[in-house]
Amino acid sequence: MITIESVLTCLEKLPALPAAAIRVSELARDERSSAVDFERVIRPDAALTANVLRFANSAYFGLRSKVESVRQAVALLGLKRTSELAAAAALGPIIPSRLPGYEIDASGFWTHCMAVAVLSERLATELRLEHPDLIFTAGLLHDIGKIAIASFVSNCAQEIMSRVHGGLAFVSAERAVLGVDHTEVGSAMAVAWKLPTAVGDVARLHHAPGEAPAGTDRVLIDLVHAADALAHALGLGRDAGELARAVDPGAEERLGIRARFLERVAGKSVDEIRELAQLFAPGRGGSR
Amino acid sequence: MTMLTVEISDIKVSDNPDDCIVTFALGSCIAVMVHDPVRVAGGMIHYMLPLSETAPEKARARPAMFADTGIPLLFQSMYQLGCKKQDLVVRVAGGGALYDDKGLFSIGKRNYTILRKMFWKSSILIATEDVGGAKSRTARLFVGSGRCTVSSQGEEIDL
Repeated sequence: MITIESVLTCLEKLPALPAAAIRVSELARDERSSAVDFERVIRPDAALTANVLRFANSAYFGLRSKVESVRQAVALLGLKRTSELAAAAALGPIIPSRLPGYEIDASGFWTHCMAVAVLSERLATELRLEHPDLIFTAGLLHDIGKIAIASFVSNCAQEIMSRVHGGLAFVSAERAVLGVDHTEVGSAMAVAWKLPTAVGDVARLHHAPGEAPAGTDRVLIDLVHAADALAHALGLGRDAGELARAVDPGAEERLGIRARFLERVAGKSVDEIRELAQLFAPGRGGSR
Repeated sequence: MTMLTVEISDIKVSDNPDDCIVTFALGSCIAVMVHDPVRVAGGMIHYMLPLSETAPEKARARPAMFADTGIPLLFQSMYQLGCKKQDLVVRVAGGGALYDDKGLFSIGKRNYTILRKMFWKSSILIATEDVGGAKSRTARLFVGSGRCTVSSQGEEIDL
């Protein structure tokens, strides 16, 4: 058994999200912020700026003209969207080349993060729901706990997998063997990195949306839960947990999801996911 | 040996006996592998969804995304290599499922049902298969020998 404190001690050794990306997410929540504030925060970080612009010019964000500056990106996409771009641009380069224990490499993990971000948004659109705040970012960062906990999972991989083969969901096997799981660690990381509360809530509750307490954005948590399940079903970012996960029937009911609907969402999203995933495929695109 | 990787919604065929056709991360997706021991050629599709009617515009751009538009394309590609239908050995892998009581996420099961219907209508027999269960698979087809392997959770089987 390990404690959350010992995991968090390890966290100090991991690369953190760039301070600029965190500052940007704070700015996005402040109604008084302007494009100039954004530019002032992002521009000194050359790698982050380059990556934000690369994202802004991808087909997914649907801009007709080429964006050449952060200020232009903010003008065309808005503050919230640009802060989501900054989160994506910041996450890509800090993913370790391999997550031992989850048997996944940086490229697979990144594909999964992108898949959940895109599918969460697409589910909301197709369900004609108003997009919850931070849905792309919360989807993108739902599994950050895995970055910190991977080496602990690796040390107990055999025991965890034997529980999975016995019929336990992977996240439950983590908790049974280690005493903590990637959702609890992810939520603690969100606090340590000063990420918005909603991002931490999703990291903590994306496997158990039914346990979301009052005051959390339940629609957001349900959407990311469903998107995560769909991404795994489609093989977008396979890891050791594979398909060993439960789907909360309550989340399906609350969202009003039907099987054909999920297939339509999947069909419409897979090319965009691939495009975004390739922007930062390790060794190909990341410029940090 | 050259590895030909079949991405999601993709088809690869080859008549080079040194080639190995491989696909990774078959969750609920299905790989159909065909081999012609007479012509010595092989082909594989990795399709994601059962029916093209769910996203017709995608089906036009990427027919291998769906069983109903992709599987006929795989067979046609084999015929273009000179293969004959009666010589083709067909194997199937994938179609996994989550622990999902209500089955909304049972894309794998629907992927398999459509495949069976199509094969039944076209009188195509499946020689061997490894489908279903909460696991993700990697499938390989060796064009020269027709050997087909499926690996999952650290174990590899000959299909």
